[in-house]
Amino acid sequence: MMSNQRAVFLGVVMALALAVAPSRAADDPSYTLTIRQHRFEPTELEIPAGKKIALVVKNLDATPEEFESIELHREKVVTGGSEITVYIGPLKPGRYEFFGDFNPDTARGHLIAK
Amino acid sequence: MTAKREAARPRDLWASAAFFLAALLAGTLPARAEFKLFYPIIDYREIEFEHNGDTTFDRRKSGKSNNQSYTNEVEIGATPFWKVGLEGESAAPSGENLRYEAATLENFFQLTPQGKYWADLGFFAEYSHAASRADADAITFGPMVQKEVPDLFGQDTLHTLNLFFGKEVGRNRSAATPLFFSWQSRVRLHPQFEPGIELFSVVDDIAAPGKFADQQHRIGPMFAGIYPLYRLGNIRYEAGYLFGLTHAAERGAVRWRFEYEIPF
Repeated sequence: MMSNQRAVFLGVVMALALAVAPSRAADDPSYTLTIRQHRFEPTELEIPAGKKIALVVKNLDATPEEFESIELHREKVVTGGSEITVYIGPLKPGRYEFFGDFNPDTARGHLIAK
Repeated sequence: MTAKREAARPRDLWASAAFFLAALLAGTLPARAEFKLFYPIIDYREIEFEHNGDTTFDRRKSGKSNNQSYTNEVEIGATPFWKVGLEGESAAPSGENLRYEAATLENFFQLTPQGKYWADLGFFAEYSHAASRADADAITFGPMVQKEVPDLFGQDTLHTLNLFFGKEVGRNRSAATPLFFSWQSRVRLHPQFEPGIELFSVVDDIAAPGKFADQQHRIGPMFAGIYPLYRLGNIRYEAGYLFGLTHAAERGAVRWRFEYEIPF
């Protein structure tokens, strides 16, 4: 008979495999935001409501920026001259604010889920 | 909201971190909390200062009342998938004074990009060096799983699970393999107030789990929130009350957590 320890470890491994196995990431539509001179371009980006999206944030500045949105529960640093991908949603229809943590006076924008 | 304050300079940040570390290692600050949930998302290039605490309630002389536990910690998101933390732990068992218990090196590994797969997966591993020679050092490790469920009965929700195993090492070690199970589900009502429910369980040895009543199981309400300071980072907070479900657990416990985080 399987020991308690082995049963627990086996259960953990199976649960982890289940957690990451069914990926639909390849189907997620992709949208791009650019950071230039400490501003997001575009400042308003329309995305489909009710669908998960991949948001690519490209930082064309030499300095780092942090893409942050309290409403979207996302924060991620993008170093100068690099890009990150942030997975968002599915969202209800509405406006969701995001900002750059290092330059919140200028780096601001909204995702508009329709 | 407009933030007009200057961004914190990296030199100031490192000076703050060095001061915090020195105070932590000197044992002047309290340490490890028993009721603590870990999240699998790493904030790369972010430094975090965190305080956790809890205290228990039970009948006087039960040995389960006024057990206090505290941790103070500094954590750094060193890479997009690895966060390292150094923690000072202290505790005051029922009827005893507060004493420094251990220094702990924590490692958090984010295994999947946030939101990409069905659930977000991470792995936690820590080494705890006991302050007293009478106590054994210990390692604790296991998976962290988090799942965002949007629009559940009209509300966005967040669910987090930790399943950790422990093992004592070195002198005075025991052969037991304890299991620490923690689960939290919360409603994203408002960024500053996310109410939820959480469960903390401890099985002292998974090879001999004993009766349910001999295991420690606690459940209760909690809330969490975040207060953005923009260039100056964020303040996060959590608090909860836990009801003991079994004889081995105390009747009640309060836990809290405060965190200040700032990117660099």
